[in-house]
Amino acid sequence: MRDVLLTTIRGLGFGSVYAMLAVSFVIIYKSSKVISFAQPALMLAGAVLVSYLAGPVGFYLAVPLAALGIAALGLGLERTTIRPMIGRPVFVVAIITLGLDIAIRVVVNVFIGTDVRNVGDPWGLDTVSVAGLPIQERYIAMVVVLVVVVGALFAFFRYSRYGLAMRAASLDQETALVQGVSVGAMTALSWAMAGGLAAVAGAFVGAGGGVDQSTWVIALKALPAIIIGGLDSIEGAVVGGLLVGVVESFFATYQGEYLPWLGQNFSLVSPYVLLLVVLLVKPYGLFGTREVERV
Amino acid sequence: MSSTTTRRRVAAASLAGLAVFAAGCRGGSEDPGDGGGEGGIATDVGVTSEACPEAVNPDNGCIYLGTLSDLTVGPFAAAGPTIVAGQEAFWARVNEAGGIGGYDVDVSEYVRDNQYNPQVTNQVYQEIKPDILGLAQTLGSPPTASIVEDLAAEDIVAAPAGWTSLYLFQDVILESGPTYCAEAMNGVDYAAETYSAESVMAVHYAGDYGGDAAAGASVAAEANGLEFANVETTAGTDNQSAAVAAIVDQAPDVVVVSTGPADMATIVGQSVAAGFQGRFLGSSPTWNVALLQSPAAPALTAAYQLLGPWGPWDTETPGHEAMREAAGDTTPNEFFLSGWVWSYPMKAALEAAAENGDLTRAGLAEASAALESVDYEGILPEGSGNYANGGDAAAVRTTQLSDVSADASTGVTVAEADLEGSTAEGYEFTGPCYEEVDLG
Repeated sequence: MRDVLLTTIRGLGFGSVYAMLAVSFVIIYKSSKVISFAQPALMLAGAVLVSYLAGPVGFYLAVPLAALGIAALGLGLERTTIRPMIGRPVFVVAIITLGLDIAIRVVVNVFIGTDVRNVGDPWGLDTVSVAGLPIQERYIAMVVVLVVVVGALFAFFRYSRYGLAMRAASLDQETALVQGVSVGAMTALSWAMAGGLAAVAGAFVGAGGGVDQSTWVIALKALPAIIIGGLDSIEGAVVGGLLVGVVESFFATYQGEYLPWLGQNFSLVSPYVLLLVVLLVKPYGLFGTREVERV
Repeated sequence: MSSTTTRRRVAAASLAGLAVFAAGCRGGSEDPGDGGGEGGIATDVGVTSEACPEAVNPDNGCIYLGTLSDLTVGPFAAAGPTIVAGQEAFWARVNEAGGIGGYDVDVSEYVRDNQYNPQVTNQVYQEIKPDILGLAQTLGSPPTASIVEDLAAEDIVAAPAGWTSLYLFQDVILESGPTYCAEAMNGVDYAAETYSAESVMAVHYAGDYGGDAAAGASVAAEANGLEFANVETTAGTDNQSAAVAAIVDQAPDVVVVSTGPADMATIVGQSVAAGFQGRFLGSSPTWNVALLQSPAAPALTAAYQLLGPWGPWDTETPGHEAMREAAGDTTPNEFFLSGWVWSYPMKAALEAAAENGDLTRAGLAEASAALESVDYEGILPEGSGNYANGGDAAAVRTTQLSDVSADASTGVTVAEADLEGSTAEGYEFTGPCYEEVDLG
């Protein structure tokens, strides 16, 4: 039982990071109808920025500063490379984001250099005893940050004028324009928010281990999460991310013992197996909007 | 459409056409070189009587060596540029000493990014092939595999960046130092003797690096009568949970880790945090000095040792000393040292070819195939670099075992020099270890 609880908590910890990344993908998808493959690079850039800022200003201030910095980068990307592509097929925009991802990573890699960069988080690999269970503090921090960030996002979308405008723009751009919503500004804002979120996720990806040039790959774990949750649903992204984390954690701990015939490292495949199962039952994901087409 | 736009498009199309034409002309045939050479030395491709760009010796001719390294987006992009810097420092020293046979050696003009991708490697190799005598570096065995047949067919000699045992069996590849396989054998022998280990686990990436080390660990475990467990893992600090679970669950006495540095630190840090009491031995690519700043540093200092092909940065040998002097203010880095060491066999081959009066590709291939030893200035044991006999005879079997030390320039200091266990000593390399040994 003790192992099961520890495995669950580890899964929820990593799952929280995947969830934040998944939410960043979904925010862009809702505004631009495109999956931005630049998110891994923005996550890496955020983590690296935190690693540079944590020394002078401390981790707690470095994370919001890096989030603002990467949000500005996201905004800049939207203005310079995505905006001119309005009206072009989303496939073209997706390919552009792939190019952006590579270009940004090449630049960020220069700042990483040959070293593993420490993000300066206060938790390291320390554990705290909760009801006799040695729980790593960073997992608790990851879950807490997810709760805070997602809570703030829901409040923003529900109660703020900008949040309402973004929802309107994502629902129907023409109608939103007629109502006086600046759809362009809302798209730019969504890219900025996604950038900021990716940066926060990056800081927590690096917590306890540091970041190197290959850390960007972790962001791809968010892809099964957004499909499982439903591409256009923020709550789906959160649930999807957490599910991916927990399922992966359980396979990592128990598959070797109970299902050895699946081979080594099946935990890496497990999110995709979950994805297939979910899609068989719910083709639009757990919380995705069912598309209605008139024939 | 405005006429300005049309004109621009026509201009762009013309330029593109011109570029294609120029590229076609250039790639069409190989530069036959000058033929005559300096001091009656025969030359063909990649050797010119004109001085190198920014030549140290303007009166010398120039030998061009290409480099195919992972410089931007591949998994070893952190290492590639530093290895290139190390080899540039090495050849700068050779040129400052007068060059080889009246020629300076240029390793900067044809540096290309292979992105650790076989297709890209082949493409950039074909681009530089008409202009180079040999390759000062080809990084990664999958990329190298994509060109190795062509290298052999064209008599192009190459220095690798890596220690897989596969290189022992590729004639045009001039490898240096012990293989991952031999390194792991020595590590397990050492653990059996020093720590009285009764069980060993190999945690490793698949393929010619991790697989090679795991094969060595498996052979040595069997030779020492130890229990062996094989755990394959994949890159990514978030993907190490299964390996950590296996270590903590099975609690072997010693774990041989063959991953990247960040993954190794995750494995060691997490396992120790979960109560694992055994020892870790890391293959040479597992270490990076920055890990001393990571949360895993206390665990690494307490439980980890590095199996290295040669002494780390601070080691006192003439070769290390020359390297440190050439490096100047460069931040100490083991990859810089590696770029330096991997260059010695090419220097020996070029010198032998120049002495034979034949700096053609065939002449260089012949000279390198006849090398019975290479002077590594004390960095590797006497007799290393026996390419004349190849295969098993070329295998170096000594390892430098290092402890983590915050005082050392690169964070590691030798604890056991020239370690050569009985397993490696008695093992006959008949093929790449990772193909020869069944890990079960």
